[in-house]
Amino acid sequence: MDNRRIFLKKGGLALFGLGLGGIPNFVKAAIAQQKVTSGKKVLVCIFQRGAMDGLMAVTPFTDQNLKMARPGIFMEPGSGKSLIDLDGSFGLHPGFKGFDELFKSRQLAIVHGMGSPNKTRSHFDAQDYMESGTPFHKGTESGWLNRALQQNKIESSVFQGVSITSSLPRSFYGEYPCLAVSNFNDFRINTRGGKAINASTATSFEELYDLTADELQKHTSKESFEAMKMVEKLNFKNYTPANTARYPGSPLGNSLKQIAQLIKSDVGLEIAFAESNGWDTHFNQGTENGIFARNADDLSSAVSALWNDIEAYQDDVVIMTMTEFGRTVKQNGTNGTDHGRASCSFIIGNSVSGGKVYHKIPELIKENLEDGRDLPVTIDFREVFNEVASKHLKVTDTKKLFPDWTGENLSFII
Amino acid sequence: MAVKGKCHKNIAMKYIMPYFVILFILGTLPSFVQKGQPKLPFKAAGLNERQAAEHLLSRFTFGVRSEDIDDALKMGLEKWFSAQLDGKIEDIEVQKRLADYNALSLTNAEIVAKYPLGAQLKARAIEDGLIKKEDINEDKEKQREIYKQLMEKYGIQNSKELERQTINQKIIRAIYSKNQLHEVLTDFWFNHFNIFMGKNTCTQFVMSYERDAIRPNVNRSFKDLLIATAKSPAMLTYLDNFLSTREDESMGNMQAKGSKRPKGLNENYAREIMELHTLGVDGGYTQDDVLNAAKILTGWTIYPMGQRGESAKIAKLLEKIGEDRLANRGFVHENDFLFAPNRHEEGSKTVMGKQYNQGGYDEGIALLNDLAAHPSTARFICKKLATRFVSDSPDPKIVDRMVKTFIDKDGDIQEVLWTMVTSPEFWQPAALHQKTKSPFEYAISAVRSMHADVMYPFPLANWITKMGQKIYYYQAPTGFPDKGQYWINTGSLLNRMNFGLDLAAGKIPGIKIDNKALLDNKEPESAEDAIKKYAAVFLPERKIESTVDRLLPLATDPTFSEKVIQANKKNKSEADEMTDETSHNEMVFDGNKTLSQVLGILIGSPEFQRK
Repeated sequence: MDNRRIFLKKGGLALFGLGLGGIPNFVKAAIAQQKVTSGKKVLVCIFQRGAMDGLMAVTPFTDQNLKMARPGIFMEPGSGKSLIDLDGSFGLHPGFKGFDELFKSRQLAIVHGMGSPNKTRSHFDAQDYMESGTPFHKGTESGWLNRALQQNKIESSVFQGVSITSSLPRSFYGEYPCLAVSNFNDFRINTRGGKAINASTATSFEELYDLTADELQKHTSKESFEAMKMVEKLNFKNYTPANTARYPGSPLGNSLKQIAQLIKSDVGLEIAFAESNGWDTHFNQGTENGIFARNADDLSSAVSALWNDIEAYQDDVVIMTMTEFGRTVKQNGTNGTDHGRASCSFIIGNSVSGGKVYHKIPELIKENLEDGRDLPVTIDFREVFNEVASKHLKVTDTKKLFPDWTGENLSFII
Repeated sequence: MAVKGKCHKNIAMKYIMPYFVILFILGTLPSFVQKGQPKLPFKAAGLNERQAAEHLLSRFTFGVRSEDIDDALKMGLEKWFSAQLDGKIEDIEVQKRLADYNALSLTNAEIVAKYPLGAQLKARAIEDGLIKKEDINEDKEKQREIYKQLMEKYGIQNSKELERQTINQKIIRAIYSKNQLHEVLTDFWFNHFNIFMGKNTCTQFVMSYERDAIRPNVNRSFKDLLIATAKSPAMLTYLDNFLSTREDESMGNMQAKGSKRPKGLNENYAREIMELHTLGVDGGYTQDDVLNAAKILTGWTIYPMGQRGESAKIAKLLEKIGEDRLANRGFVHENDFLFAPNRHEEGSKTVMGKQYNQGGYDEGIALLNDLAAHPSTARFICKKLATRFVSDSPDPKIVDRMVKTFIDKDGDIQEVLWTMVTSPEFWQPAALHQKTKSPFEYAISAVRSMHADVMYPFPLANWITKMGQKIYYYQAPTGFPDKGQYWINTGSLLNRMNFGLDLAAGKIPGIKIDNKALLDNKEPESAEDAIKKYAAVFLPERKIESTVDRLLPLATDPTFSEKVIQANKKNKSEADEMTDETSHNEMVFDGNKTLSQVLGILIGSPEFQRK
């Protein structure tokens, strides 16, 4: 971890030494608590909106019931065939080929049959419940990630919870201030009139806010301008990823690239949030090609690029995907799948006991399916989220994250 | 169904009779009118009339300008408040600006027909044989072409257009309505009974929700709002009550074949009505109460309004049975609301110690009336009102007074607000300008102060989103939090500043500004003169010396002006590509770009973030 200390001391301090009005408090504090910050863990959450078909992503290909239920979209491993055999019973969709390597190097764990105890098949409700962390309570004000941040708060960092979205996701609702930024290039004072005038204008604002008697405004302004200067120096625009990592040019690629920069600059990031869209595949889901394959390729390429880019920081980072529910076992009349129950989650990290599909999936005969049609939820999403929060982020009072839940961790993190 | 209406009244009489009797004896005139107009006690707090007017307007409008203060004083502050509560001033400007908004007067059924959602459109395309199932998703170009055909054939429009009209009308009303308090209250009560435009068909129902359930009731009795929202398709959808049925529900011959609708009790609405709409989380109810309230509200659903599929089948069935026979069987059909007794859980239920065994629709109405009249509700609602209009942490004394009025006057919102503004705590100098404007309030107040001509409001909505408030899109039923800490944070503050800069520079598309008119169309005598005038327009009756002092050197700094001019020259080509409005603005205010810049800073200043 020496490299980051050096960054902080030489790079970080130098950044702020250069006539920018001294060293910001949060940097000072970060240096003062060097051990804490250097060992600080980061969680990157990616929400796959629309409900990913877990049975296509990670197929229990030996189950003949599935093969029969999906004559148009079932895929198999083997020579000349495209499904990637993971362990003799589960196969990875070829779009996720980037994940194959991580699975083999045991950095990727797959949790299958995961979902919510609430049977709703509404995207909105299911996302809402998953993000609030309370599957039977709509009125919960805050999101589970915000509650995690409240416990681990670092007063000195404004970058502790960052979502690369245009508005705050439900997971981040709550008391603890989180940043929602769709593009860090916009995180500045912009008069649309060039650098010099932006700078004078920023100074005027800074001075005005410094004079105000309103403590909230004064304090927030100070933090905002410190953060702005930091972002400016990080130079998001001209970033070159490490390890020749190549991010796809998609929205998700851009989100994860910015997250990588935050991780590497050690600005106090603890939880990052990004979204992957388009998983609601009612029509022509496709097989090797098509809409599902494109989404899978985007997700696995972006995540693999992030993982390579942050190689030096991998020990401190866990990446977790989540989706509101899975899709029907049977394909529908339009070569797609409809809203179902359980799906799967990908969790990547050096502390993860990877190379394994964690599951309790029964044989997919009708009697075993939920409501006679869907992959049953056999692992509560809270078994997984809770473990990541407690073991990786070291949140101590996880009761606050999932107040109605009394289960056990799944045990996939060392 | 007139029969039902009568029945409803009987129930209401039975349960809140004491209040009704009092009202009938006194007649329907509110008590403050009978007593003669109360006086606003601002003098005792050491405020002069102008300061008092500024404070009153600052809290009850979407942005106070010095001429608004003049007008209110001419009228008398008490009369002004009374007229605003009444909300019946003719709004010619709003009518003119909304004349082309063709979705505003449509019913929910008309909206569903005219603005189908993406999935409904796909289904229709397949049904009409315009596209084969297997081509959907594959050939995007073809798909677009087909949608265009469909739109022409059926006269349907993109649902995004409906969304834009819903958002735009809110902005237009907030800026230009003369009934400012009515708009402020509409905003407040919508947020209290929050729904989310992003959920399924809520997009289609938001327009009618605000227009029919919220707006007409914002200054009436709290129970009117509660009942209207309970029956509105938007709320029924958002909190799932339209699905809630007794456990063994079978629609019998009412059930369309092959229905995939889930059956059984859904507690979501019952829980939130207690936790968020009435009693408050500590209002003294238990999980059993939630369960029983949910049972009472089973069968409250939406009258089928789709023209195809399952919805159309049920609608046909209902029509065949006929309104009279339905009414005899205990159905209640009012506009889009349907009470379906076959989905209702019969039997006696107990909520908070009170037994409900009226059966059918009536017990739901009885429950809502009881919840609206509960002392916990009075406290919860009054504290929320005081938080919005007085302070983020209101003095318990003013809340207590409001609670008493709420209970004594059967939840009459006008009476409660009169109690608030006649309380000394409302006028404490320490309370002045202490509330943070929400992004919506901030943007609207800036536009109002600029006297800008907002021809197309959507870019303004985008800015409001950027500053942290995506209107109609707060996902949780809690609504947006109402406190400064929520709005002023590192993610939003720079955007607030940038908004001020863009607005003053005329760089927000669709908004025509005239910075010179703000200076009475005269060339300013000096930079100092201009800044003082701007400050007086934007921050009337406030201590602005330090803000002016800080801005002055900037406006008179020749290097700053030079920078601005240079930057503008550099951007000339960019500016040429901009809309006509922008070039118009530049012509009007040519040579005063530095002042525009300073005006932008004034809008983004700490003072202007507060109300």
